[in-house]
Amino acid sequence: MASSRRRTLLKVIVLGDSGVGKTSLMNQYVNKKFSQQYKATIGADFVTKEVLIEDRLVTLQIWDTAGQERFQSLGVAFYRGADCCMLVYDVNAKRSFNALSTWHDEFLTQASPSDPKHFPFILLGNKIDIDAGNKRAIPEKKAKEWCVSKGNIPYLETSAKDDYNVDSAFLCIAKLALEHEHDQDIYFKTITEPATDTAEHTSGCAC
Amino acid sequence: MIKWSIGSSGTPADSYYEVRSDCTDDVPKSKFKIKAGKTLSVRKWQAAFSTDGCLDIASVLSRIQKGGVHPTVRGEVWEFLLGCFDPRSTFDEREEIRQIRRLQYARWKEDCREMDSHVGSGKVITAPLITEDGRPIKDPLVLLEATSSQNTSDSASTSSKNGNVDDSATRITDKHIIDWKLTLHQIGLDVLRTDRTMVFYENKENLSKLWDILAVYAWIDKDVGYCQGMSDLCSPMIVLLKDEADAFWCFEKLMRRLRGNFKCTDQSVGVANQLQYLASIIQVLDPKLHDHLETLGGGDYLFAFRMFMVLFRREVSFGDSLYLWEMMWALEYDPDIFFAACEDASAHKSKISRSKLRGVRHFGKRDKENAKNGAEDTEGPVPISVFMVASVLKEKREKLLLEARGLDDLIRILNDVNGNLDAKKACAGALKLHKKYLRKVQAKKP
Repeated sequence: MASSRRRTLLKVIVLGDSGVGKTSLMNQYVNKKFSQQYKATIGADFVTKEVLIEDRLVTLQIWDTAGQERFQSLGVAFYRGADCCMLVYDVNAKRSFNALSTWHDEFLTQASPSDPKHFPFILLGNKIDIDAGNKRAIPEKKAKEWCVSKGNIPYLETSAKDDYNVDSAFLCIAKLALEHEHDQDIYFKTITEPATDTAEHTSGCAC
Repeated sequence: MIKWSIGSSGTPADSYYEVRSDCTDDVPKSKFKIKAGKTLSVRKWQAAFSTDGCLDIASVLSRIQKGGVHPTVRGEVWEFLLGCFDPRSTFDEREEIRQIRRLQYARWKEDCREMDSHVGSGKVITAPLITEDGRPIKDPLVLLEATSSQNTSDSASTSSKNGNVDDSATRITDKHIIDWKLTLHQIGLDVLRTDRTMVFYENKENLSKLWDILAVYAWIDKDVGYCQGMSDLCSPMIVLLKDEADAFWCFEKLMRRLRGNFKCTDQSVGVANQLQYLASIIQVLDPKLHDHLETLGGGDYLFAFRMFMVLFRREVSFGDSLYLWEMMWALEYDPDIFFAACEDASAHKSKISRSKLRGVRHFGKRDKENAKNGAEDTEGPVPISVFMVASVLKEKREKLLLEARGLDDLIRILNDVNGNLDAKKACAGALKLHKKYLRKVQAKKP
């Protein structure tokens, strides 16, 4: 154990209805880019990013999934081993907010974490840039109430397009996941690396 | 825009499918080239018809297998490859069938328009029209209006107070209609994300065509409806065929082959069948790789999900994926495909008798192999697409064996094929593997 270099790997699952901006949030965070030309995610894909959290090098492995309900049976395969879950809805689309409980519960069922009550979640209300908020279908208050009802999940409003609150959102969920692991006194997953020092796993994504 | 080239260096096929200047860095480069003497040219295509219009499909197929189809005739050729028409029919017979089909499409579209006035209006819906229990929603978000051409922004909504249930409207009770209406905004969300790097889709009318065709299809195929990935399969038809109804019928024929992939239940996705085929093939061809994948928890081959769902649309450039598709169809061409397609739509079945074609079997190359080896007698031939994916795995074999230590590595390594896959190589590889597979299976037989 001592001889192999240890790094913490956190598996983050991003969930939410189709078109709420999951891929855009991830790409803004990892590649600092926003594109109008994203494609619908088919199956699952992931990107990685290394962050320094309180002097600790953490690799975030961020998983993107398809939003159409029909694909939910694929979840089991991809949610396995998740350390935290980022739920996303579009503040302008009521339905995407109404679906949150299903995403939340379905995730817990399929990933079946050992401590579901305290499993780290975060909720993001995305696309607050649209029409300067005039098209909002869900007030902030309502979203916060939902978060309280699910055991005080942190809530952030974001814009993947304007890069607003994106970094904070991912840092927040990473910290929560680390605390959770610490609370549970669970070993940190280690990745033993091949000889090379630069272990940047930026996985190819569609763009 | 059209560039002609003579000589062996060839023209990249993507020059026919113009990419927006601001997106050129975002799309895979084309590897397939149009080659004189190999690619099915306009001249060769026209020469393959007799005076009354019968098509010498065998010569066309062998040409396609050598070098694909020239983009300028691709739409017409695809109608035959997909089985819209019987190659033995005459010009007149086909024209009649075409007219009948166009009318049928117009009728279906009208049925849909009566249920929802957005169909055929040039608008694309991206927010739900209806609640799960059938209550209409007031002023759903319309994100695009093809009719107002000066409007370049996609976020032109009709109302600010969107998304509220309309209590004055009557509730819909028919489950089919509710299900259909519930898919319309999903179609819209995906249409706005389909091939948007192409100049073709800067024209909003083309986007609304895509939305209309998918909406009509979702209505007539109630088991499948609309599923993410279908917009990627439909888009090329709209690019290749000018007439919306003709594009619809090509898409409908394609879906006959692929709809099984999209049938999902709470427990499973239809594409799992293809993944199982893949597993059993790799097991025979490369047991070491199969064992390795299994140890990593990839024995379900789910990492290949996307390649099957959208038939390599994400792995290669637009033009290259069309080439891949026509190669597969030419290899798999079944002379009875037209009749099989007519079985349940018998409107024009009497026109040409089935027996006319029997005995004149112009097999695709793959079927020839199958016939030779007697592989067809068990459970029908394995689709060539499975071998295509197998050849991608073979290409990545060493990397997978050496570097992959978990499911995430599998996905990382295979996602690296994004834009790097060579369509031509993959085809050649697939054929080789197919041969090898048949040999091995044959050798095992008592």
